[in-house]
Amino acid sequence: MNPIQPREDDELIGAILGAADEASRCIQGRSIDEVLATPDARETLRRCATDLGTAAREVSEMMRNWASHIPWESMTAIGEDAPAADDGAVRALWGFMHQQLHQVRGDLEEMWRPAHLRREVDPDETYALDKNAYDFYRPVGRNLLQRTEEFHGWVEARRRTETWQYSRVLEASPGSIARITNDVGRRTQGINFNSQDYLSFNAHPAIREAAARALHDYGPHSAGSPMVLGNTRISDALEAELGDLLKMEHLTLFPTGWGAGFGSMVGLVRQEDHVVIDRLAHACLQQGARAATRNVIRYEHLNLESVRQHLKDIRARDSRNGILVVTDGLFSVDADWPDLVMLQDICRQHDATLLVDVAHDLGAMGPGGTGVIGMQELLGKVDLVMGAFSKTFASNGGFLASRSAAVKQYVKMFGGSHMFSNALSPVQSAVVLEATRILRSPEGEVLRGRLFKAIHALRDELSRRGLTCMGSPSPIVPLLIGNEKLARIANRRLFDRGVLAFMVEFPVTPTGSSRFRLQVQAAHEPQDALEAARIIDESIAEARAYLSSAFGSGLA
Amino acid sequence: MFDAIVIGGRCAGAATAMLLARKGHRVLMVDRSTFPSDVISTHFLWPHGTSYLNRWGLLEKVLAVTPSHTELELVHDGISLSGGVPEDLLRQSFQQLHGDDTGVVRRYCSVRRRVLDKILVDAAGEAGVEVREGFTVEELLTEGSRVVGIRGRTREGTRVEERARIVIGADGRNSFVARTLKLPRFDERLQCTFAYWGYFSGFDAGRAHLMRRGRMGAAIVPTNFGQNMTLVFGPSEWSEAFRRDIPGNFQRALDFVSPEFGEQVRTQGQREERLYGTLDQAAFLRPLHGAGWVLVGDAGCFKDQCTATGMTHAFRDAELVSAALDGWLAGRQPLDAALKHYEDRRRSQSAAAYYDYVCTLAEMKPLRHDELQLFVSLRGNQEETNRFIATHADISPVSEFFQASNLLLINDAAKESSRGHAIFEQFESTSRQYLHNPFAA
Repeated sequence: MNPIQPREDDELIGAILGAADEASRCIQGRSIDEVLATPDARETLRRCATDLGTAAREVSEMMRNWASHIPWESMTAIGEDAPAADDGAVRALWGFMHQQLHQVRGDLEEMWRPAHLRREVDPDETYALDKNAYDFYRPVGRNLLQRTEEFHGWVEARRRTETWQYSRVLEASPGSIARITNDVGRRTQGINFNSQDYLSFNAHPAIREAAARALHDYGPHSAGSPMVLGNTRISDALEAELGDLLKMEHLTLFPTGWGAGFGSMVGLVRQEDHVVIDRLAHACLQQGARAATRNVIRYEHLNLESVRQHLKDIRARDSRNGILVVTDGLFSVDADWPDLVMLQDICRQHDATLLVDVAHDLGAMGPGGTGVIGMQELLGKVDLVMGAFSKTFASNGGFLASRSAAVKQYVKMFGGSHMFSNALSPVQSAVVLEATRILRSPEGEVLRGRLFKAIHALRDELSRRGLTCMGSPSPIVPLLIGNEKLARIANRRLFDRGVLAFMVEFPVTPTGSSRFRLQVQAAHEPQDALEAARIIDESIAEARAYLSSAFGSGLA
Repeated sequence: MFDAIVIGGRCAGAATAMLLARKGHRVLMVDRSTFPSDVISTHFLWPHGTSYLNRWGLLEKVLAVTPSHTELELVHDGISLSGGVPEDLLRQSFQQLHGDDTGVVRRYCSVRRRVLDKILVDAAGEAGVEVREGFTVEELLTEGSRVVGIRGRTREGTRVEERARIVIGADGRNSFVARTLKLPRFDERLQCTFAYWGYFSGFDAGRAHLMRRGRMGAAIVPTNFGQNMTLVFGPSEWSEAFRRDIPGNFQRALDFVSPEFGEQVRTQGQREERLYGTLDQAAFLRPLHGAGWVLVGDAGCFKDQCTATGMTHAFRDAELVSAALDGWLAGRQPLDAALKHYEDRRRSQSAAAYYDYVCTLAEMKPLRHDELQLFVSLRGNQEETNRFIATHADISPVSEFFQASNLLLINDAAKESSRGHAIFEQFESTSRQYLHNPFAA
């Protein structure tokens, strides 16, 4: 290394500050004339002026151009070419010390001291806001129990700062208004966009009556797998009713919607097969795909041209194995849907099978409650339709529908979650059956009319306030926030101000695209929607001010 | 009366001035410096950075004197990944930002500011910009609350006043425009890195190497004049101890992060200049526009050096703001709408996610087990490795890489296990050791 190097900038800044400090001590309380009249003091100041000026002149060009707010010229002028006998250097230093040093010292220290040490923060809140769930996905260590601790520590920090949106509990029926307690025991009551009960069937007298009757006739328990003795006449009737709604005669019931998605995938797809899946399709389908085969291709959301290309590529190298193309009907965090007519057509052209998950749209949208498939006039024409009862049908459970008796029997046997789970309980089956009958009746049309009135009111009011509603009008109104910190703080405000909204973030949404998923019910009055939109808008503004955030929620 | 006055004549300013002048507008650009001139910068240009230069017809001039590559190496605690940015992601990024992907190239390079800024200033002059070097702006002229021009001192010391329809602050992190207008800072992230670097000749590093170990990072990237920009960086709270012996600790840090490069620099490296350093890197955003003014580059949004995107983002801003201002100057849209469009691009949710990503990295926390395992999983998956590099460089949205179905899929398809990577042997105790300040006495 070359031993002859100029001093580094740090050293030079230190020298400038050191000379200034020494000059300050020397000047203390004296006037310029007193200093000049005192030989020692004059000498000291002259030396300080030389040191300060020399150091300032040596500061690198890089640093001067970067720290352009520092008056380098004033400092370099000090002591420049001043004869030893002249007092010019001392006077220049004196002027600098009185007019500029205070500001310069502050600016230099800002550049030289770690900025974060200047500010007090709540470490819990910082930790809670900074991290995302994916940070804890691969824990460390060989002890399966101990290695969950780090994640738990984060959850605790989020709980303490009330930024944990999960595990809230209901204190009463979740209608358009709900009473809830958060997981540190604080209660609130508010306008409820946090429950999935699109047609408000949870409170419907006929549905409650059907549940009571089934409870009376069969008791609370299904007492067996549907393949053993878990089914009842109610479940048979339900399969028939749903099959009629979808114009697909072969229905298989599952005890949960998750089980229906996962079971359909692992039942039908073999290891050599291929799954081509929308990258935002529901988690039960994503995980089912990965459990069934390593040949999983995630295509860009709704991009049918990329599906076409993938199918072409697969068929070019594999003409022997199956391809399952998977999409949601209504995407539950983006509120949009694919062109199913074209997608089914593309699948047929490449000998691929299409599976559509209609969990969120069936019953709540479309002519006669037939969802996105009905809206696109595809009833009975899609290869496989799967869904869940938990959004509109006031119950747990799910189904797979096809036009093939063989497919039905095969998935029942090999899907796992049908054969090896207890069946839907008689109460659940009765609730879903009654819900299906109502949603197909004129009353269903009335309820969907009310639901969409509230949906439009909410979307219009949020948009009018400059907020970004994603997707198209549907029972899900995703309000884009983006930044997780902003969403978490806004969510904390909403709790206090009486609006219940589920804040979704990773792993439900990709990181950096968090949002409020507002789920609308037929029981919501447009007035509820207007009031909620106002509170949401104000809460986001408050959160932005709290975090001093300049980021908006533009979609780009 | 100019159409625009640009204060600051480096990456953001010269490019903005040049692009506006090429559209036929009358532009004055002033800078305190006389070019060629250096400024604190790690001067790395990602492929979208060089793509901008290519779109403007300047890349050839840069590459004539600057080594460039398409592949780089990322090493995290000994786990090495090599790759480059895929062209389709680059094209997507340009399409989304500018609606036009002409000139996209996959090359990256590290170009000294005294080289690059001179090329940019000359190009601005050739485009018709009135360039005044050595010009110090002393005051912003206002009418009511509207900025209408500048008052300043020429290289010869003459005081002058100039007026324009818009004043563009392209004057960097410590922006005079922002300070004069007393613009607030938003989203301040005070935790940042300290960074020290030097220029070493005497060895050939090949392509760029970006390395992390524990709380320290290092980068070795070939640059102009047959030299290698050699950088070490760490958490700013260690800076005080570090600077007690800058040359010694520089070598110590390099040895710690990469013993091989440490050895190479020690035995073959010839340092050509002093070491430079800074920890003045706390991130922030400022309002981007107001009555008569607009900010571009670091003046409007500053981030830590740890992902080396500053110059590339300055170019991006230059294209965005010049397109917006051209729309207004040419009478196609009102100024407010034009600048709102510029702001929407700059403050989009993707930009927010990337800002978070950089600021989190700048805290220099030891790499977590899950992160390291992700890097192991990426080995042997070139497509996803490239996408990770593109994400790191802000070419592909952070959200598309860090989404559940993608991370789970990478994990499932991993061809490598943690076996054979020493970091996983005693991970917990190593990780604890990393928290220790190695420069403390």
